[in-house]
Amino acid sequence: MNKSLVLDKNYLSYWLRQVRKKMSLIAPLRLGNSESSRTDTDVVFKTIENIHEIELNCPSSMPSIKEFLFPQKEDMFGFSGDTADILKDDTKRLIFGVRSCDLSAITLLDKFFGENFIDDYYRSRRKNTLFISIVCNNPDPTCFCRGLGTGPFLKSNFDIQLTDLGDRYMVETASKQGTSLIENHHYLFSKPKKSDYEDQYEILLSSQAKFEKRINLENARQKILTGRISDLFWDWIARRCFECGGCVYECPLCTCFNVLDRIESEGKGVRFRIWDACMFKGFTRMAGNVWPAERKGSRIKHWYFHKLVYYPDHFGKFGCVGCGRCTITCPGHIDMATIANKIDIGDRRRK
Amino acid sequence: MKKEIYLPTKAEIVEVVDMTSDIKLFKIKHDRPFHYQHGQFLMLSLWGKGEVPISITSTYSFHEYIELCIRRVGYITSAMHQLKPPFEIGLRGPFGNTFPIENAKNKDVLFVAGGLGIAPLRPLITMVINRRKHFRKVALIYGSRNPSEILFKDDIDSWQKKGMHIILTVDKKDRGWDGNVGLVKEYLDRPKISFKNARAFICGPPIMIKVTMNGLALMGINENNIFTSLEAHMKCGVGKCGHCYTGGKYICTDGPIFSYAEIKKQTLFPS
Repeated sequence: MNKSLVLDKNYLSYWLRQVRKKMSLIAPLRLGNSESSRTDTDVVFKTIENIHEIELNCPSSMPSIKEFLFPQKEDMFGFSGDTADILKDDTKRLIFGVRSCDLSAITLLDKFFGENFIDDYYRSRRKNTLFISIVCNNPDPTCFCRGLGTGPFLKSNFDIQLTDLGDRYMVETASKQGTSLIENHHYLFSKPKKSDYEDQYEILLSSQAKFEKRINLENARQKILTGRISDLFWDWIARRCFECGGCVYECPLCTCFNVLDRIESEGKGVRFRIWDACMFKGFTRMAGNVWPAERKGSRIKHWYFHKLVYYPDHFGKFGCVGCGRCTITCPGHIDMATIANKIDIGDRRRK
Repeated sequence: MKKEIYLPTKAEIVEVVDMTSDIKLFKIKHDRPFHYQHGQFLMLSLWGKGEVPISITSTYSFHEYIELCIRRVGYITSAMHQLKPPFEIGLRGPFGNTFPIENAKNKDVLFVAGGLGIAPLRPLITMVINRRKHFRKVALIYGSRNPSEILFKDDIDSWQKKGMHIILTVDKKDRGWDGNVGLVKEYLDRPKISFKNARAFICGPPIMIKVTMNGLALMGINENNIFTSLEAHMKCGVGKCGHCYTGGKYICTDGPIFSYAEIKKQTLFPS
């Protein structure tokens, strides 16, 4: 049961300022403030000091928001001599300006970290995090979330969703926490008129029509399952892989990590976890130089199988939300969109 | 009570026994009662060094301590070999599934071990021997590099006395060895069991597992009845870190025990 309201754009900064009093506000921000290079500087999610810095007209391909729930480097517990104590982060966070694809990824990560053994580091962060997502009026040329049902707008599994209607926002809430953010400042919101709904519908339709990529992951999956994609194909792709791990680090659904110890002084130290990537050669190396996945092709195959075969088998959803970040990151142009297309439609050069 | 899946609990190494030149047996005392089943492993922490998955060697009869049989190969195992007891370490676990011994009831049971692979099989074999009347013929093929590297000789003797058919083989014989010479795969047809209804449990180095599973399948054991314990690089042991993820299975939570049929279907042995 989604509840809809209308918020005038002039009230947005006031609302955020009020909300920020209770929790830290994270929003997209342009790095570097020189006016001349405004168009080609990076946009990242950061804790906002000044509400006016928030940059909403940015490409959706900024770094994914998984780092706020599963940081690149996270201290797990400190040990001194014989005692170990847990280091946990329970800062309250509001992440504003999240894309639908990222939020769909978070929904899937909730399932992953919450099954069998529950990851408390993720859960304590997740419990204290709220999201305000924004419908993409203008999807990027690299986006292909439409075919996956993860964007450009969401029907469920969000806290608050905003739709930009020109001079006002359509505000939808789908969770208790989201509703409470609005209820405290109900005087800012008004009831939607019939024209608001019509405008919103129009925006959603036009946004869906703007997608340039038509990637059918289901077709690619079916073709992989037939077993017709031989290892030669993956080895051929591997020739273009630089093993940089960019696809893994940028992917909102990649969660592999390494656990390491850092000694700070005699007998004192911290055990921490850090992102790891299955594209790296040493990822599966065991003591005694046993190397299950030494070939580059087999590692790439594993990544695609994980996203296209194992994820749907286990969770019923693809391990890809169509955010297009790997398309932008990959220097060898062997990203998910390209490879899925190649598998689906075919390529004359394929061996 | 909240369960901390990444936080090890305190334990203490109370005794270290030299088994061979590079294998030591560690006896570890644990604060809380430690319940485990054959085939499971635990995560052993050395503060400031890291964590390694180690399979449990001790049988149920030892309640006061856990035994771990560790070869010196990597960073942490080398560090462990230099420890002098008593020394404090961290333990997590036990993790993983167990050998499906219950469906071997009233059947012939064959164990095949290579080198240190006898260690995870030891609790299972002891359990089978102690409940001998529930099983039909029981046999063990055990291959080592050389006669001095045969582990758990006392256990093997006692198993033999209790009616287990034991075939020992070494890769390289030395003076005083008048037994079998050669790889384990050359002796797969020796045990006098009915292969058709047998259950096989294999543990050893990856290449030996691969060859043995294939060989036993050719001998007529159903692929669903051949079980082995796989190993992988692991960081968490709880299916989160992704290092052991192969063929859609986490070796730590879905395994480490898999049947040959599963291994073939999921291609758990990457080429």
